[in-house]
Amino acid sequence: MEADDGIDLRVELAGISLKNPFLVCSGTFGNGREMSELVDLNALGGLMTKAVTLEPCPGNPPPRLWETPSGMLNSIGLENKGLERFLAEDLPWLSRFDVPVWVNVAGFSAREYVEWAEAVSRSGLAAAVELNISCPNVEKGGAFFSRRPREAAELVARVREVVDIPLFVKLPPLPGAMRETALAVAEAGADGLSLINTLPAMAVDVERCRPRLGNVTGGLSGPAIHPVAVHAVWEASGAVDLPVIGMGGIWSCSDAVEMLMAGAAAVAVGTLNLVDPRAVPRLAEELAGFMRWKGYRRVPDMVGLLRRRGWG
Amino acid sequence: MPPLAFRATVLERRDYGCASEVIFRVGDGFSPLPGQFVHILCGGGGRIIRRPFSVFRHEGGIASVLVREVGGGTAWLRRRRRGDELDILGPLGRGFDLTGGGEHVLLAGGIGVAPLAYLGRRLTERGGKVTLLWGMEKGTEYGSLPESLGEEFDLHIATADGSRGKEGTVLELLSPEMTPGTHLFYACGPRSMLVALTERLSTAGLPSLQVSVEERMACGLGACRGCTVPAVEHPGGYLAACRDGPVFRAEELDWKRMMESI
Repeated sequence: MEADDGIDLRVELAGISLKNPFLVCSGTFGNGREMSELVDLNALGGLMTKAVTLEPCPGNPPPRLWETPSGMLNSIGLENKGLERFLAEDLPWLSRFDVPVWVNVAGFSAREYVEWAEAVSRSGLAAAVELNISCPNVEKGGAFFSRRPREAAELVARVREVVDIPLFVKLPPLPGAMRETALAVAEAGADGLSLINTLPAMAVDVERCRPRLGNVTGGLSGPAIHPVAVHAVWEASGAVDLPVIGMGGIWSCSDAVEMLMAGAAAVAVGTLNLVDPRAVPRLAEELAGFMRWKGYRRVPDMVGLLRRRGWG
Repeated sequence: MPPLAFRATVLERRDYGCASEVIFRVGDGFSPLPGQFVHILCGGGGRIIRRPFSVFRHEGGIASVLVREVGGGTAWLRRRRRGDELDILGPLGRGFDLTGGGEHVLLAGGIGVAPLAYLGRRLTERGGKVTLLWGMEKGTEYGSLPESLGEEFDLHIATADGSRGKEGTVLELLSPEMTPGTHLFYACGPRSMLVALTERLSTAGLPSLQVSVEERMACGLGACRGCTVPAVEHPGGYLAACRDGPVFRAEELDWKRMMESI
């Protein structure tokens, strides 16, 4: 939206127009329905669906949550009702809103990823595919691919062949391998990157000597991982010329601006949605205020500004 | 009613032994069903997600929760004073079904008395006959709350150390005439207590039982799937405590798997 004072929050990602640079991260907004009781979905820059797998998936055994200092551990394990019901119920429902939808595609094998991504693209109801090759909570799922740049690139190339909409690849932070992996998936045909997924993590109940999570290990999110995410965005955006959606512990407007300045073309709010379903419209308003104060008129004015100012 | 997001002013805090009743002002639109909960942001200090509390009392623009200190968040909430503000989402979740007729037996384990006291008031208003059975560790644990609830209800107490009422768990208070044929059962307490109760009532008695479960929650709206409990439907599947519950008909839950995670 363009305000009277010329502040323009709109961004364009791989040809997709967003009203503002704030998306909601996969898994933190369900498929919109639950949250729509408290927030107008039309106010979101974009919505990334909860990960969907080809077959229904019951998810991991509880407990699935544990709070850590400024962080949250989860091991949901991709609980979802499967492709068929998602395409029949959730995606058509979401398409009633004026918000671009990234469908988060997860799989347990390359064949599943390809088949599923193709179905999403064919539905005509998704703006983009977000290929989830970084979920730490499933044995055979994505993490396998993201740890191996060559396998990741092969998968991206196969999916690229069957989808007609922009393809974003969601990666974990890969210390020492971020650039290499970003380059590999970019060369394989990705249209954008989502950075970062949760970090593999665990916690132990020492009284009872047992893991806090039913699945033993999980993924860490929240403000605790924010600097890690900023670093990943910095590394990847320096390596490839693709739009990066920065995510990981965004809790304030300045957290979002950090991501933009480090090189993200847009950002996504994750764990904060679980605390405040109205976080995105609030942060968008705060961002407009920040831009007005600092004299930025358009979001791209801030994107990658660190490098343009000679850092790195 | 749809959930509200609001800030509530604390009006009063009443301390009852290890627990405190935090009383706050609510708007006219706030009308929780017994068993529904409010999701409260419990301060900073690295605590980022909300904590769910069953509604303990609600009338005339005033509501309260009963808080027992189990960690940093509950410690923060217990120390609120008149004039402090609370950031609340609610009411959330599915409450108790109040439509059944007959005599009502409410079984509370410890702090689980909170939703049952609220339920008991509503059932009494509807002309129901209510018996509240409450199990706790020791007689002094909840200060003067037993006396206070004893004025409202036909209250029976059991203590683990025998210092008050009957010695043992709340199940010791079930009398032979309290049968699924004539009575409806409502329970809230530790999972081990709920499991023992389902064994006591046996499979045939489960349709007469509703339970409120306590789980760690994140969104409270059913979006994140973090607070799931094992369900009978779809083998291996789960229901969300925050949205499908926290009150369930006992026959909806897979008690064998419930037992495995005690």
